[in-house]
Amino acid sequence: MALKGINLEIAEGAFVKVVGTSGSGKTTLLNIIGGLDTGYSGTAMVAGLNLRSMSDRELSRFRNETVGFVFQHFHLLDHLDALQNVTLGSFFSRGEEAEPEERAEQVLVRVGLKDKLHSLPGQLSGGQKQRVAIARALFNRPRLILADEPTGNLDTRTSGQIIGLFESLNKEDGITVVAVTHEDHLFRRATAGIRLEDGRMVEAGPA
Amino acid sequence: MKARKLGLFVGQNLRRNRRSFIFAGIGIVVGISSFVFFIGLGSGIRRVVSTEIFPMEANRIQVVPKMMQFDDASGGRLLDEAALAELRRIPGVAAVYPRMKLAVPSTMAMVGSRIAPEEVERISRMPGVQPEWLVAVRDFNSWLEIMADGIDPRLVKNDALFGTFEDPPPGQPIPILLSKRLVELYNSSFSRSRNLPPVNDILIPYMPALPWTVNDSFVSEAQVHGDKIYAHVRLVGTSHYALLGGITLPLDTVRKLNRRLRGERAAGLYDMAVLEAASSDRLSKVQEAVRAMGLDIDLSQKRMAESVGFAVTLVMLGFTLISLAMVGIAAVNIAHTFFMLISERRREIGLLRAVGATRQDVRAMVLGEAALVGGFGGVVGVAAGMAACFLIDILAVRLLPEFPFKPEHFFGYPWWMLAGGVAAAVVFCVAGAFAPASRAAGLDPSSTLSGR
Repeated sequence: MALKGINLEIAEGAFVKVVGTSGSGKTTLLNIIGGLDTGYSGTAMVAGLNLRSMSDRELSRFRNETVGFVFQHFHLLDHLDALQNVTLGSFFSRGEEAEPEERAEQVLVRVGLKDKLHSLPGQLSGGQKQRVAIARALFNRPRLILADEPTGNLDTRTSGQIIGLFESLNKEDGITVVAVTHEDHLFRRATAGIRLEDGRMVEAGPA
Repeated sequence: MKARKLGLFVGQNLRRNRRSFIFAGIGIVVGISSFVFFIGLGSGIRRVVSTEIFPMEANRIQVVPKMMQFDDASGGRLLDEAALAELRRIPGVAAVYPRMKLAVPSTMAMVGSRIAPEEVERISRMPGVQPEWLVAVRDFNSWLEIMADGIDPRLVKNDALFGTFEDPPPGQPIPILLSKRLVELYNSSFSRSRNLPPVNDILIPYMPALPWTVNDSFVSEAQVHGDKIYAHVRLVGTSHYALLGGITLPLDTVRKLNRRLRGERAAGLYDMAVLEAASSDRLSKVQEAVRAMGLDIDLSQKRMAESVGFAVTLVMLGFTLISLAMVGIAAVNIAHTFFMLISERRREIGLLRAVGATRQDVRAMVLGEAALVGGFGGVVGVAAGMAACFLIDILAVRLLPEFPFKPEHFFGYPWWMLAGGVAAAVVFCVAGAFAPASRAAGLDPSSTLSGR
C-alpha cells in the first residue's frame, strides 16, 4: 500500500502504536522506518541517519545494529533451536560479539524463556515463539523495535503478556517501540498513537 | 559476513537440505568420476607411449649426417671425430654419445644342438624353468643375418644390468644389448607361441652365449670381402637405445671390427650421435648450432611419440568433454534445485535481510552452498572415478591376454587430475547456482516477509 503525505516524528524512547484497517499502509510505514522498504519518495530519518541516501550495505548494517524486528508470524527458522534463532543477527554483525551464545541466553532469560534455550520452534507455544522472536530482536541491543502485529497470532492472555514485555523493554531499557496492531485496546500504555487510512495519516498524537 | 560465519551458516543449510543436495549432486559425482576415469586412462596410455614405445629424454636429440640434396648448395656433412669434437664445444652441450654401424654383414646361427653343454646347464638353472623350454631350446634352429652397431657405453650405463658393457678381452663373449621394443614383441608373441623362455630381468643372466659370425651373409656373398670373424655374444641387458632390428655392441668393439675389416676410414665415421643438453630449455639453441654445422637432427622418434600422444589426447579429450557435458547437465539440475529451495526459503531470506544480511551476503550463502555441494560431489566423484580406475586396472591386468607393451597399470593419476576434478565440480556447481543466487540476492525483503 502506498503512503501519501506522511509527516511523522517519533521521539526516542516513545512507545507508539500504529493502527488502521487492513491495507491502510501500517506495515509499509514500519518497513520504511526499518530500512526494509526503499521504494518511496521523500525522506526517512532514523537515529540521525537518512535512510534514502544509504547503500544496501549501510542499510543492512543499520537494520543489524539499530533496529529489531518482531513479526506476526514470528519467522523463526524451524531447524534452529531458540538459542540459535536468537544469535542469527550475529552472523551479519560487523563487530564480533564476544560470546554470542551467552548474550542470546541473557536475552532469552530476559523474555522469560530460561528453560527453553534448546527447544526447537516446533516444541514451543505461540507465545513462546513470539518471545524468542523478541529475544532475537533484542540480541544486538537495538535502539528501536518495530513490531508488526506482534499479537496477531496469539490469544488474549498471551497477547497481554507480550505487550507487557514490550512495555517493560520500553520503560526499563529505554528502547523505542513502534508496534502495528489491529488490537488497539491492548496497547493501553502506548505513549503515542497513529491512525492510518488508505495510506494517509488521519490521526497522530498522544495515546 | 566473515568466512567462518558464512561457513557455519552454509553448513547448517546443507544439513537441513541434504536430501535435495544429495539428489542434485549425483549427476556431479557421475560426471566427475567419468572425467577422472578418462583422464586417468589417457594419462596412463600416454605414459606407456612416451616411456615404453617411443622414449626420448626431453634434453636429448639424435644428430645424424646430413643427406646430400640436389637443391642444397651446402651439401652434406659426415659425422666424424672432428664433427663430434665440434658438437662437444657447442655451448649448452653436456655430453655427446656417438654410435657406429658395423660396416659388414653378420650372421647368427642359433642351432640348439650346437649349444655348449655348460650353456644348456645354465638354462636349466633359470628360475621357474619350464621343461618345454629346454626341449624348445634344444630343437631351436634359426639362421639369421643380423645388423649390428656400436654405442657409447656411457649412454646405456643404466641398461647393462647383467654384465660389463665394454669391449671384452680376446676370447670372451661380446656383451650385447637388445632393443626393449624388440624384446617386448618377442616376449608377448614369439616366445609364447614357441614355448621359448622369455627375455626378462630375471632370466637374462641365464641366457646362453650365442655364436656370431662377422663379415658373413646369407643374403649376398658379394658383400663379403676378406676373412670371417667368429665370436660369441652374451646378452647383458635391454635398452631403448639399442638397435631395433639387431644387436648393439660396445662402440670400441665395432670400431675395432670396422678398422680390421674395412680400414681406418670406416672406423672413424659415425652414423648417429645422441647429444645431451645441460637442460631441456637450452635444447633449441643447441639444435640451431647443430644445423648451422651442416648436420641434421633426427626427429622421427619424437614425431612418432607426439603423433601417437596427440591421437590419444584427441580421443581422451572427446571422452573428457562428454564427461564435462554430464557435469554441465548436472549443473543445470543444481540450478533447478536452488531455484526450488530459494522459492521455499523466500521468507527466510527476507528475515535474514531484516536482521542485517546484505544482498552480497545472501548471494554468498547460496554460492557457498553450491560450492560445498560441488566440493563434496567432486571429492566423491574423484574417489569413485579412482575406484573405477583401480578396479578396471586390476581386471585388465588379470584378464586381458598378453600383448606388446601391455602395461602393468593402464591408468595414471596426475595430481592435477584429482585437483581438477574437484575444481571442475565446484566451478560447475557455482556456475549453476549463479542465477538462483542473483535472484535470491535481489528479493525484496519487505515483500518476502509479508508473503507477497
